Amino acid sequence: MTIGGIDLFIVVAYLVAIPIFGMYFRKYVKTEEDYFLAGRMLPWWVISMSIIGTNIGAYDYMGAAGGAYRFGIAQANYEWIGAIPAMVLSALLFVPYYWKAGVYTVPEFLGRRYNLAVRVIEALLWGAFLACVLGVFFWAAGLMLNEYLGIPIWVSLLVTAAIVGIYTITGGLAAVAMTDVVQLLVMFIGGVALTVLGLWTVGGWSGLVASITPTHPNHFNLFLPLDDPVIPWLGMILGLAFVLSPAWWCCHQAIIQRTLGARSEWDAKAGMLFAAFPKMFIPVLVVLPGLLALSLNPNLVGPDMDRAFPWLIRNLLPAGLAGLVFAAFMAALISSVDSTLNSAATVWTRDIYQRFFVKNASDRHYLNVGRVLTFVFVLWAIAFAPVTKQFPGIYVAMQSLLSVFQGPTFAITLLGIGWRRATQWGGLFGLLAGVAISSTLFFAAGWSFLYVAWWSFVGALVVTVVVSLLTRPEPTSKLEGLVYGLVMKDDEIQDVISRRAQGGE
Amino acid sequence: MGDWLTGLPLWWGKVIAAVFFFGIAVWAWRRPRSYIYSEAPDNHRWRDLRVWASVLMAIQFLLYLTF
Repeated sequence: MTIGGIDLFIVVAYLVAIPIFGMYFRKYVKTEEDYFLAGRMLPWWVISMSIIGTNIGAYDYMGAAGGAYRFGIAQANYEWIGAIPAMVLSALLFVPYYWKAGVYTVPEFLGRRYNLAVRVIEALLWGAFLACVLGVFFWAAGLMLNEYLGIPIWVSLLVTAAIVGIYTITGGLAAVAMTDVVQLLVMFIGGVALTVLGLWTVGGWSGLVASITPTHPNHFNLFLPLDDPVIPWLGMILGLAFVLSPAWWCCHQAIIQRTLGARSEWDAKAGMLFAAFPKMFIPVLVVLPGLLALSLNPNLVGPDMDRAFPWLIRNLLPAGLAGLVFAAFMAALISSVDSTLNSAATVWTRDIYQRFFVKNASDRHYLNVGRVLTFVFVLWAIAFAPVTKQFPGIYVAMQSLLSVFQGPTFAITLLGIGWRRATQWGGLFGLLAGVAISSTLFFAAGWSFLYVAWWSFVGALVVTVVVSLLTRPEPTSKLEGLVYGLVMKDDEIQDVISRRAQGGE
Repeated sequence: MGDWLTGLPLWWGKVIAAVFFFGIAVWAWRRPRSYIYSEAPDNHRWRDLRVWASVLMAIQFLLYLTF
């Protein structure tokens, strides 16, 4: 299917306007901090919208709509109980400590709290994951442009690279965050238009329920029975709500980086917390369309269920609206690509290059390295994108692989901030043990990733505690500003934190 | 997971979720006011992030009660 007329105009206008708008912010980039942390000047409302723009990708539209078609409203658990409580936890516990520590990355924080080995393991994990995800995102963007605009796939990849690369390379996090704001607005306008029109077509909410419930009685239940093979309610609570979701919202570099660029501690916390409000409406954009597609066409089976969203665009939308919804689709993708690009460059520059290759160089040097690395990642993504075509399940595989590390990472970060007795060896062995447990349960025993996440979290927690109690406590001077109790009670420590935040110590 | 778990009724999920939301809200209110307002430009009531957290948890509670 290709689009034309007014739809084509809307899409092209959007694709041209975004890089021009992003380029405007290049004039604010003079230092490494400007580039990676937007000069620590982001207000809370920009942070919140950028967080959601980063979080919601085109895969969410496709995957969540397909999931809703299969499982019903239970798919919304990923946006509600699987996000909102964790965002509160992140905003009021984790974000302030990251921000006050003056770090650029989550691995850098863990390195400061534990030791270099923990930092390197986490940096390599995040660096590799973000780089691979870029290839998948680029391929998805290329496919969408190819399918809807009818241009060859290699041209589509170059167009995507040009659109995202221009403003991400020159403007850094400020350009990424500000364009995310616009893209989120486009996503909401396009998504709401689709949902409203769909609901009107099926006879409103009551019409939707009446058309689906007779054949799918569980499709309007948030919790599915324990014998459900994919999303049983206990797995949703233990694995998703208690572990995977906090791990994502409290430890994901691309998410957390926005808050590190906040102009104040309050803005950092408020940015993360306010993001939970638009997040609650995401099911309206990505889950409800799946139910609408089921109501209008219950004949999609197997993999075709994942095409519920495109089916709706093709069969429901009039001229003009189709272009708007496609622009929303592209906005979701581009806002994830630019954030991933920026975060990948940050991790590789700060945690790898700056730590192991060139130490103590000038600020200008690291700014240039960041730009060059961003450009290298654009080239890498173009080259790697076609490879993902050979492995259709690669994105799911990478997400599953991430879940192997997420439980242990969350466990040591939680103890690192919440328990001053956690030692560097406790953190290192907890991380390694957790990864060993999750790898065994996931690859050898074939458990659901929801239960794997829970038990690897518990395992890492126990090992960290036991090893910490068996090893020498860390000196208080090392923990200042990094651990909960030490920040709340001592004015001198508050001074240390301020100096560290200002000086990038 | 053990077979005994498959016997747990579905409404347990609702109860656990409700306790979870309530617990998060209570935890938020236990954060000191100075911590919540740290570096805020002013002390207006709307900047109290504990209120934001409570509203979020209340909405979550209603959603899981309804569906």
